[in-house]
Amino acid sequence: MTPDHAYYHDEVVKRLIQFAVFWAIAAMAAGVYIAAELVWPTIDMGQPWLSFGRLRPLHTNGIIFGFGVSALMATAIYSVQRTSHVTLYAPRLAWFVCYAWQLLVLTGGLSLLAGWNTTKEYAELEWPFDIVIAVLWVCFGVIFFGTIARRKIRPIYISNWFYGALIIVIAMLHIVNNLAIPVTFSKSYSLYAGAQDAIVQWWYGHNAVGFLLTGGFLGMMYYFLPKQAEQPIWSYRLSVVAFWAFTYSYIWAGPHHLHYNAIPEWVQSLGVVMSLILLAPSWATMINGIMTVSGAWQKLRTDPALKFIVLSLAFYGLATFEGPMMSIRSVNVVSHFTDWTIGHVHSGALGWNAMITYGTFYYLVPRLVGRELYSTRLANVHFWLALAGTMLYIVSMWAAGVSQGLLWLSLDASGELSFSFRDIMASMAPYYGMRLIAGLIFLIGTLLMAYNFYMTTRDRETVKVMPANVNPAFGVAT
Amino acid sequence: MSTTVSPVLFARSILHPREVFAALAKTDPGAIRVFVSYSVWLMLLPPVFAWLGAYQFGWRLGAQEPLRLEVMELLVISLGYFATLLFGFITTTVISRWMAATYGAKSRFGLHAALITIVGQPLALASAAHLFPHVFFNVIIMIPTLMWSMYLLYSGLPVILSIPPERGMLMASSLVGWLLVAAVSLLGITMGLWTAGFGPSLGV
Repeated sequence: MTPDHAYYHDEVVKRLIQFAVFWAIAAMAAGVYIAAELVWPTIDMGQPWLSFGRLRPLHTNGIIFGFGVSALMATAIYSVQRTSHVTLYAPRLAWFVCYAWQLLVLTGGLSLLAGWNTTKEYAELEWPFDIVIAVLWVCFGVIFFGTIARRKIRPIYISNWFYGALIIVIAMLHIVNNLAIPVTFSKSYSLYAGAQDAIVQWWYGHNAVGFLLTGGFLGMMYYFLPKQAEQPIWSYRLSVVAFWAFTYSYIWAGPHHLHYNAIPEWVQSLGVVMSLILLAPSWATMINGIMTVSGAWQKLRTDPALKFIVLSLAFYGLATFEGPMMSIRSVNVVSHFTDWTIGHVHSGALGWNAMITYGTFYYLVPRLVGRELYSTRLANVHFWLALAGTMLYIVSMWAAGVSQGLLWLSLDASGELSFSFRDIMASMAPYYGMRLIAGLIFLIGTLLMAYNFYMTTRDRETVKVMPANVNPAFGVAT
Repeated sequence: MSTTVSPVLFARSILHPREVFAALAKTDPGAIRVFVSYSVWLMLLPPVFAWLGAYQFGWRLGAQEPLRLEVMELLVISLGYFATLLFGFITTTVISRWMAATYGAKSRFGLHAALITIVGQPLALASAAHLFPHVFFNVIIMIPTLMWSMYLLYSGLPVILSIPPERGMLMASSLVGWLLVAAVSLLGITMGLWTAGFGPSLGV
């Protein structure tokens, strides 16, 4: 009888996917609720923990750390074993990270509801949680790089470079940005002062988008897209060039969040130039993905998952063009502090991150339990709901954002601002209503997916798979 | 195989798109003929509606006072709108034909021009909403129209260009990617023009 440790450790992958789907529903529901608060402000019932200010970080942290990181851990653990032709290094540590991370997201979320907040966007969790994040992240790195270190195949596949960059850069960003002096258990002050603090924060903030929401998910794309399409990557060389160009240029782009602020103008300009350069590796990757899938069109007949991936690439193309464009100062002066930014973030978060994750999960879940997807029809309905929700969200925020940008800056004949903040916000209610409907549509699609997965995995054990043999030409010399 | 298509055929596509897709697939029209006989007239509608609406009522963005601009400035903006639509139509046709090689679709320019015309037609007609220049009113008219246009693109492309529906889905999605980028570029260019002092008076 073959011992258990000879098989890939996929049980932990399945559990992480279940947690990811749970956090997607919980955090998106929080998003829908705060969208409703912008239409009907009194539904916070006068409760501080239900207020926009506390629920908003719960929404973003739940999506990024709950849904996003759980999905990235699941797919990284699944793919690093297969691309290294070995079972997972330190599987018990992987189980520890899996559950400890969920506990962290849960307790961290509750702390945000209680009002503990560093006031740094996407890094709102207070210092005790930051330390736990750093420890668990290093453990994740030990599992991932430990598996690569004992690989049986010499080349390190491109998806692992992206996942590796995710682990190393996020560790660096998280630790540096969260250096703080604790005052009490629930309050700390940043080690940096004034404008320096802002620069460090957006160096972190933009690269959390870059290396977690982009780089990590590109790792997902580079493994699962060719697998689904049953085609090799269109140009492997292009993927390697894009990786290094991406890694080099992303790290500089953060200051474009601080235009017209008290930071040196040359730093702002550097941020713009690097943001514009970033378009090249982003689109190189998009083209690589589109060309890979274009050779596998027959698969679309039977595979609902591939549709999600195709659309996710279109939205990736949009978001990675829109971002550099919004970093240009003459555009940013109008678009900043408007809902256009919110629309931009969601064209990436819904159109790219969620869609590629959903496509990957629709591929993975049936394979993990060795059973056909419960309902392809439901998956197709989910696809159209996700597309409709994303489009409605983006268009409503574009219209709201451009109107806001114009109204904030409008001058009357005497050179005074024409409109008050309150009047402008009141006039946005119809767009916020539309955004609420868009969010609901997207959430309903996610609920359908959760039901589909529940029915697919119910009463099923995880399939046991042994590592495949390695072609001796590419093997690691022992 | 007919080398011409009548404007009536394009007009019929409003109510009977599937019939028209099938009929177009059997033709081999010239791009310039499609453009001159129908597309260009369709593209005149949005700027004319926009000019009339903005001149008569001024744009309402939700705040109290409508935004009014000088007659000459409105004229230049409307001409710019027309030029942008022309540029968008031509570039989308060229890009669609360029993509045809990748997806094994017919490469006849006229067919691509006809496809883009049919896809854009609902939007051009719905631009009658510009006659009542209220931003939110225009948004709620344009969003369902946009969905209808996307349906026409996804369902019409494989028929007109004679490729399997699955390949059509991939090519249509690639075109959607381009159109999204084009749309957001327009927003960016508009912001740039406003900042440069053209259009509404902004405190920048």
